[in-house]
Amino acid sequence: MTAHKHMTDPARHPRRSFVYRRLCEAGAVFEVCGDAAVATDYPGHAGLAQRLALVDLSPLPRLGFKGPRALSWLRRQVGDVPDDNNRAYVLGDGALVARLTDTEALILCDIAVSGATVAALEEADLIAGAYPAPRRDSHAWFVLCGDFAVDCLQKLCGLDLRPQRFADLAVAQTSLARLSAILIRQDRGAVPSFHILADSASALYLWDVLIDSMDEFLGAPAGWKALRDLDPPSRKPSR
Amino acid sequence: MSARRLAPPYGLLLDRSTQVDFTFEGQAVSGLAGDTIASALAAQDIWLLSRSFKYHRPRGVLSLSGDDANTFVQLPDEPNVLADTYKIQDGLAVSGQHYSGSLRSDAAQRISAFSRFLPVGFYYHAFHKPRGIWDFWEKRIRARAGLGAVNQNVRGKYYDKAYACTDVAVIGAGAAGVSAAVAAAKAGRDVTLIERQPILGGSLNHARLQVKSTYGVDLARELAEELTAAEHRIAILADALCTGLFADNLLSVMRDNRLIKLRAEQVILATGAIEQPAVFENNDLPGVMMASAAQRLLWLYAVRPGRDAVILTANADGYGAALDLAEAGVTIRGIVELRDEPTVEPLMQEAVSRRMPVLRGYAIRRAFANEGGHHLAGIELVSVAGQDRPQRDTLRISCDLICMSVGWAPAASLAAQAGAEIAYNDAQASFDIRGLPDRVQAVGALTHRWTPEAATAQGRHAGLRAAGQAGEPPPGAAADAQPVNHPFPYFPGDSGKAFVDFDEDLTPEDIENSVAEGFDHVELVKRYSTVGMGPSQGRQSAANTVRLLSRVTGRSLNGSRGWTNRPPAYPEKVGQLAGRGFEPVRQSPMHDRHLQANAEMMAAGAWLRPAFYGPDRDTAIEREVSVVRGNAGLIDVSTLGGIELRGPDAAAFLERVYTGRFETLKPGRSRYALMCDMTGTIQDDGMACRFAADHFYVTATTGNSDEVHRAMLWWNAQWGMDVDITNVTGAYAAVNIAGPQSRSILAPVCDGLDLSAEGFPYMAVRNGAIAGIPSRILRVGFVGELGYEIHAPAALGEALWDALLEAGRRYRMRPFGVETQRMLRLEKGHIIIGQDTDGLTHPHEAGMGWALGRGKPFFLGQKAIEIRMRRPLARKLVGFAMRPQTATLPEECNLVIRGDEIVGRVTSIFRSQTLGKPIGLAYVAPDQAALGTSLTIKDSSGGFVEATVTATPFFDPQNRRQSL
Repeated sequence: MTAHKHMTDPARHPRRSFVYRRLCEAGAVFEVCGDAAVATDYPGHAGLAQRLALVDLSPLPRLGFKGPRALSWLRRQVGDVPDDNNRAYVLGDGALVARLTDTEALILCDIAVSGATVAALEEADLIAGAYPAPRRDSHAWFVLCGDFAVDCLQKLCGLDLRPQRFADLAVAQTSLARLSAILIRQDRGAVPSFHILADSASALYLWDVLIDSMDEFLGAPAGWKALRDLDPPSRKPSR
Repeated sequence: MSARRLAPPYGLLLDRSTQVDFTFEGQAVSGLAGDTIASALAAQDIWLLSRSFKYHRPRGVLSLSGDDANTFVQLPDEPNVLADTYKIQDGLAVSGQHYSGSLRSDAAQRISAFSRFLPVGFYYHAFHKPRGIWDFWEKRIRARAGLGAVNQNVRGKYYDKAYACTDVAVIGAGAAGVSAAVAAAKAGRDVTLIERQPILGGSLNHARLQVKSTYGVDLARELAEELTAAEHRIAILADALCTGLFADNLLSVMRDNRLIKLRAEQVILATGAIEQPAVFENNDLPGVMMASAAQRLLWLYAVRPGRDAVILTANADGYGAALDLAEAGVTIRGIVELRDEPTVEPLMQEAVSRRMPVLRGYAIRRAFANEGGHHLAGIELVSVAGQDRPQRDTLRISCDLICMSVGWAPAASLAAQAGAEIAYNDAQASFDIRGLPDRVQAVGALTHRWTPEAATAQGRHAGLRAAGQAGEPPPGAAADAQPVNHPFPYFPGDSGKAFVDFDEDLTPEDIENSVAEGFDHVELVKRYSTVGMGPSQGRQSAANTVRLLSRVTGRSLNGSRGWTNRPPAYPEKVGQLAGRGFEPVRQSPMHDRHLQANAEMMAAGAWLRPAFYGPDRDTAIEREVSVVRGNAGLIDVSTLGGIELRGPDAAAFLERVYTGRFETLKPGRSRYALMCDMTGTIQDDGMACRFAADHFYVTATTGNSDEVHRAMLWWNAQWGMDVDITNVTGAYAAVNIAGPQSRSILAPVCDGLDLSAEGFPYMAVRNGAIAGIPSRILRVGFVGELGYEIHAPAALGEALWDALLEAGRRYRMRPFGVETQRMLRLEKGHIIIGQDTDGLTHPHEAGMGWALGRGKPFFLGQKAIEIRMRRPLARKLVGFAMRPQTATLPEECNLVIRGDEIVGRVTSIFRSQTLGKPIGLAYVAPDQAALGTSLTIKDSSGGFVEATVTATPFFDPQNRRQSL
């Protein structure tokens, strides 16, 4: 899947972000990405990603695998999977593999959607004991980034998010504003950055809650481009 | 600038460049930025702030630290605001509270004249007889009770909560607390330092510790510099109040409108000590205050607290206060020294060298008010040969300020919450803190370290210990041997009132009366007299109460315990506790389409669903029913639970959790699935769709899907079967297109799928694509029409909805809502779990014995159902119909009556436009279940209506329409 650099109306595409109307209300400009449109920019929100920004990546590819043989199968497909639960690993093409349990993993495409991992996994032949999980539809995907990201999250989440306790590529299956969520820290350079994946049916609720929490830090929605413009995340394997 | 305002260096908290204008009792007042209400008023020589709880006595500054309730004032949208600590803002309208008439002329203060008839507990004896008299008194008592007025029209403010974690939490930023924080931070630990004041340093900022007046401030500056050097590891929460210490070191911290839930590995309590009052007649008059309060006014707010002062002291602090006051231009009219043989301290020597009159062998017996009765005008001293024997030799001194410096009590509430024992120690004439848990330490004045040197040394040691690096405590950290407390600063007069507890207007006589009534344990005294039950929670009354109780009962004082300290340590606002509420809401991908179609939304569990497409309910339902029965309708059923079961044991697992047969179900087919719990009670139902030998997709009801998923996971963990269970409810959008035209509508957009009755029969399931959208298609008939339930990826749901509506346009298809669906399914006699069943319903009661797989070795609840069926049925769910002319329909839950006996209730009822008569489902006695039996239903108005037991399905009993 590749991104096309032309602007579009998200309602013209069959696959729509769970919060696309909110993004439109906030003035988002959309860019085509495969069968969907992604909010790529918000005029006037420049530089926010460094301070505090919320980015909707829900239309981007991601998937999950479950089952007693899911991890061994996945390891054979992608070469490496974290040894421990609640850890993530960055593959060579930038895709991120998060190990959730002994029998479950989540795979996020690289932010630029330039890698081949997710597409390859979608097409791969599964074996008995390894089953797909429709994470692109079951979970909305947001990224909260910026120097105030931890302060903002601490208004919603009881987790100890200090870097020494929740380091880069740490994964937590936790509660955000009383909503079950998967939280993955993947800093971009020196900018703290968190992937947030939560029930797509509650995406609008979570988006509004996050925007409200960001208000005191002068945070706002930012586009996909703002995230891409930040320093790339570390690709150093973190086991 | 007011005459009472002092020039710098006084006024550490003030921004003198910014004037703040507000009103008090309607009068314009100006203060400076940084002023509290009380300090700004004091600067304008306004000392009367409020009225007391019981006797409406004038009250003013007592501690100026927020530790008492004397300065409660009323704001337009908030009662009981502490003027001591509340910062003034431009335009703030402040008034006193708890008065009748005016603050200065309170008509209610006449109640004081009747105080001898109002001893503690009088309300336990009065107002109850003769019978019925309480109704008379209640209104009057309620009118008088309580403090302040709640403005019920005020708009809510934004409150929220935040979580935080730290290695070491230090509560209190005085010498000990800052030293502990710095030591722990230097040792590599993350520290959170919590301080009530806006600046750090604690009492160093206002107490006179040495002859050199700036000693404390200089020391605070040095500590601040140390703090700065380690600040990258120290988070400072100033202006924050720690109100609770709970299990596993969870601290509640109130800061502005936020409750911070702070989790700390180690806690260091440096909460300091609270200055204690002496008990003498009229010790509550404005102008009588703690010496530390006077020093706070001076040093923090640059306010001269009086013109002519008398110091009542039993320690060096009183001399320090005298020096501070004198240097600020206050005339020291006398230092009343209570100790028989005081230690000669440098501060005392300095005071004497400045010719301040030190009066030994005297105590204050009485304070006098000025002409208006609102402020101190003088005192009467009495010589003491021993505090139990007041003498006749008296001395009168005119003064407008009494500074009480007779001792301190540890601010031990958090320590007590942590589990420490707070016990009286005769040697210190104060409370000790004993038995703190491992990860909690106490330092500073809280543990009788009165000098900054001892507090600092102890704090450093505690900080290192919290970081796991401490050795033996340094010798300098030991507690001071010299007590600072008078053993019992109690000098009763022979008339008037002396107060032990200012919050509740309690006198020594009240404590004595409690004991006389038999309430002689400190916990009982508290409850009977209400001592310590006011807003300050006994911070200034516990020590004197325990001393008085010991004296009255003759029990040993040493080792006595105060009453139990419970959270919160300081008052919390309900808003802070309520905070920002989080109520997750689930919306289907088509939610906005429903709103655009004028849907009336309803809650269904966490979901929002369209009830009908408005505006008028009855009209809408009528229209929607007609469309479904006549053409086709489209309903959003994304809220139905969706659970994937995959693996070789999937069918066997379903055999166990559902009542029916599933191992025999062929791929491409679906079957109704009924779930019971282990008691045989119906829990849920849905459709089990078999897409492959090892793959089932099971639907569940909207409200129960999470519970069904949890139950499946739990049972799979018990049974250890080879099946993977995944809740995919949110992953799929789902719609049901129902009606005789549904096949025609679907055919053009259903890519390559044979929709014919033969190719896609009733109860079949298929994978396919609708308008290019990959879908799971289930041929089901909940509403009794030819219908297809289509499940598609959630992110494509809106596009699916649009495509189907477009396809149905030429057939005049319309969306229909949940209310319409409920009527349609009722016409088919289908039950809704949770509406037509309750927490006891088993399948046979609901007429669903057909759903139980015969000959199965096991399913959940099987055994219980067998046992329950050994007894006669207690009730039976039946269909009923009513005469078409019935004007007013019963409602759901209306009772089925036989004679004077309740035999059942209505569970569902609608006026069926298809059938032209009201129909419903109801539980009835088993012997009433025969068709044609007449039922009597008591409606909501109390009237009785007749119904007749009728066969279900009411509509299309041969099920021809759904099988088309």
